[in-house]
Amino acid sequence: MNPAHLDYDILADLAEGLLEDDHAASVSAHLDTCAECRDRSADLADVSRILAEAPVPSMPAELAERIDTAIAAESLSTATVVSLERRRGRRHWRILSAAAATVVVLGGGAVVGKIALQDSSGGDHQGSTSPVQDGADRRGQARGVAPQATPHQSVMKSPTYTVAHTGTDYRAGRLGPQIDHLLGKGQELRLQGGPPDQRLAGCVGGVTGGKPPVLVDQATFEGRQATVIAVRGDRPGRWTAWVVGPDCTAAAPHVLEQENA
Amino acid sequence: MTSVSMRRVDEVPDKELLARHAQGDPHAFAELVHRHRDRMWAVALRTIGDPEEAADALQDACLSAFRAAGRFRGDAAVTTWLHRIVVNACLDRIRRKSVRPATPMGDDATFDAVAPKMPDPTDAHGVSLDVHTALLQLPFEQRAALVLVDMMGYSVDDAAQVMEVPPGTIKSRCARGRARLAPLLVHHRNRRDSRNVGGVEGGGMPT
Repeated sequence: MNPAHLDYDILADLAEGLLEDDHAASVSAHLDTCAECRDRSADLADVSRILAEAPVPSMPAELAERIDTAIAAESLSTATVVSLERRRGRRHWRILSAAAATVVVLGGGAVVGKIALQDSSGGDHQGSTSPVQDGADRRGQARGVAPQATPHQSVMKSPTYTVAHTGTDYRAGRLGPQIDHLLGKGQELRLQGGPPDQRLAGCVGGVTGGKPPVLVDQATFEGRQATVIAVRGDRPGRWTAWVVGPDCTAAAPHVLEQENA
Repeated sequence: MTSVSMRRVDEVPDKELLARHAQGDPHAFAELVHRHRDRMWAVALRTIGDPEEAADALQDACLSAFRAAGRFRGDAAVTTWLHRIVVNACLDRIRRKSVRPATPMGDDATFDAVAPKMPDPTDAHGVSLDVHTALLQLPFEQRAALVLVDMMGYSVDDAAQVMEVPPGTIKSRCARGRARLAPLLVHHRNRRDSRNVGGVEGGGMPT
């Protein structure tokens, strides 16, 4: 009877009650007489049914773990701010760090050596700086270049690393494998973070002796808040890692643990 | 919402969990996410299409919700609030991704550009697309509306709250989306029962 067939848009609007009354009436009248348009109308009902019947996907286990980790890290950094007044807990770290006193001295020594480079006392910390930087320094020294101009200082001034909050709970003796895992494939997102604040930048520079770290992670160690700092070792796939307390500074790194892995 | 009916009676209500989180309970938020993560994942995956982008969007959303919990006003269900954050995180991802094309495009064109390239799906009667792929042919707003209403079983009013638009807008986006999907999902139709003649239901019911 009515040659003007209805398209899906009109029929979908009718179903949602979006048509003006008289328009809706004429569309309904057409549907009464036109099997083809009734078919199209049924197609639309099927769309809703097909969508409703699509199985709900479960969250993949590794994504659930990733999100749990991100939330834990977020809780931790929030807790850090909240509990700043509980700094008395620092004594705790001092006791723990007594065993690592030699590492503190070594780390401190590297900083002192760096500051005092122009006094040609760099000999005892060569092991902690890269050969390239060492060579540059020696040349600088030989020509009596002022300390402000040494390449080291520009490295120290603008850190090229970011501070991650991976939520990892590091374990004594397991630092190597844990760092391996984080620096391995597929963990890039967990390592994203912001630049270090001044205290942490000083701490990292002090502990590594100015070497650029491959990982700075504000996480936990044996269940306690700590920062893990790792630099590349002498061979590919090897690193030196330090665990420092949350109050680590360049002058007082409070190294809790050091491992060559 | 279905998530409510699935809850055990002795479970702490969502709003209570969110309040505990705002007061500093370190486990409350993780519990809230655990409770709703499959539905949040479903919304993100279906709205954004690509699993990796969806995973990133969902992580963004969880962290936004974590930080914004203090601003939850309590006049909507917590799930509505959570899903709003998920949908917004998905939209952010899609927008960021579509910054790349140098030529300015309308919204539809932008979203279509993000979707995988397919042969023109409307030219052949028998083109066979799965639901996931067919959804990606829609502009973001239509897809999100259909995900919420037809797939997740939200009422039009609840979906309107999630997307922060009037209910009429949700209805119209659903209608546009269904009209576009109808020819794409032809092969899914089961025409053995011819009960639907003449009437079209407004929203599918969740299973």
